[in-house]
Amino acid sequence: MNEFKSGFFVGGEACEGRVLVVDDEPDIRKVVKMTLEKSGYEVIEAENGEKAIDVINSGENRLLLDVVICDIRMPKINGAEAVAYFRSNYPRVPLVVLTGFPDPDMATSFLRQGVVDYLVKPVQGETLRSAVARAIEQRELARL
Amino acid sequence: MVKVVLLCNRATVSLQGDRLMERSDPTKVAILGGGRGGRALLDLLHQIPSIEIVGIADSDPAAPGLQRARELKVPVTTNVPDLISDHGVGLLLDVTGDPEMEAYLHAHKLPTAEILSGSASRLLWKLIQHESKLEAELLHSEKLAGIGSFAAGIAHDINNPLQLILGLAENLTVERDLAAVHEQARDIIEAVKQTSAICRDLTRYSRRASPHGNVMVSVNGKLDEALKIARYASSFHDIEMIKHYQSGAAVTGNPDELLHVLVNLITNAVHAMERRGGTLTLETTLLDGQVGVRISDTGCGIAPDNIPEIFEPFFTTKAPGKGTGLGLYNVKTIINKMHGTIAVDSQIDKGTTVTLTFPNAEPVGQGWPS
Repeated sequence: MNEFKSGFFVGGEACEGRVLVVDDEPDIRKVVKMTLEKSGYEVIEAENGEKAIDVINSGENRLLLDVVICDIRMPKINGAEAVAYFRSNYPRVPLVVLTGFPDPDMATSFLRQGVVDYLVKPVQGETLRSAVARAIEQRELARL
Repeated sequence: MVKVVLLCNRATVSLQGDRLMERSDPTKVAILGGGRGGRALLDLLHQIPSIEIVGIADSDPAAPGLQRARELKVPVTTNVPDLISDHGVGLLLDVTGDPEMEAYLHAHKLPTAEILSGSASRLLWKLIQHESKLEAELLHSEKLAGIGSFAAGIAHDINNPLQLILGLAENLTVERDLAAVHEQARDIIEAVKQTSAICRDLTRYSRRASPHGNVMVSVNGKLDEALKIARYASSFHDIEMIKHYQSGAAVTGNPDELLHVLVNLITNAVHAMERRGGTLTLETTLLDGQVGVRISDTGCGIAPDNIPEIFEPFFTTKAPGKGTGLGLYNVKTIINKMHGTIAVDSQIDKGTTVTLTFPNAEPVGQGWPS
């Protein structure tokens, strides 16, 4: 067993990891949550960058958050600002960008900042799950 | 067919060129003939600040040109001798199409007045028609250029519902709870409706302005329609909206063109608040037969040096590729056509208020077109 694995038990079921979904559209949070929960992830939500920063700074999330999935076009603190914040304050938490607007320049800039994946909506459940799995793998590697 | 020979006296042009540009007293013009030609001339010339129309004459008091002149508060007469004996008149524009009129004018005009008649005035009429065609083209291309900047907004608004549809549909392939199946199918239907509304709004907006022109338009309805379109052009995140609508505010004009004006002004207001957010206030008033439309933002404001230039074609403070510089120029052109006025009040870092005023359209007892 890998003693560094962040998985823990929720209601007797194995939890693959804790994912924070940041999107201003409740429908998107709902559907991402539905997709990931089916694969055993625990999903928490934030409706904008500001709330996301609050969430990651609160209690156990500081330690237990495994992946952040982040939209770009959002009110308050937008995705680009939130990504920059996460990268400098929580460099070990992997980030996946999930955006409605394919922008190659922006994608390159995010990948350079160390974002694991840049996904453009609509994205299939399988793609989303494998991006999250890859992100968690990176987190495990970072801990070793 | 009008054949033209251009004659140019170099010496005169070079001597007078600079001074002509700077001359401040307006050219005083009298229009003879209130038919279609007279009316078109009136519409064009009254927009040019360096031209003053001293009057328009036609033997028929109900001629369309005379009716328009009354709306524009240009003096109207059925008496040609009175008009041409006005001492201030520098140019007589004869669009009567009457060969006798030309001879009459030459015989009776004041020595200081010049005459434009016959084929010269027909040429002018053709130029005006051509100019209005170009104007419509310009308006349409500026609108299409603007739609390019909607890409991010459209992608956002289409891809979000698509993500919902895809996620729910994937789930439906394995969902066993019948109640959940029904609920998710309903969510998919809603998401499809939402997506198709985007296409409907945009195709309506992007079409060429309908040529049939002037009808009565409810300003409040158009403001709401413009808001929907402007949301594609810029992010309304962090922007608080305040609406104060006076019911019954209606103007006469081309509804597509008015929509274009409002989309332009709302987009500018929102762009001005891009950095820090703020409040967008839309207000309509109805006072003394005048409809007022006020669009205020609490954004970055316009530098005082730039204010005199904002209506000039190709003037822009936006980064290359972000604006055509034709937005406010077209706004002004449309407002002039609607016999309205536009006033801009701006303070750096405080915000900008744009106020439009139009004559109130008389209700004609029918429904309010939206």
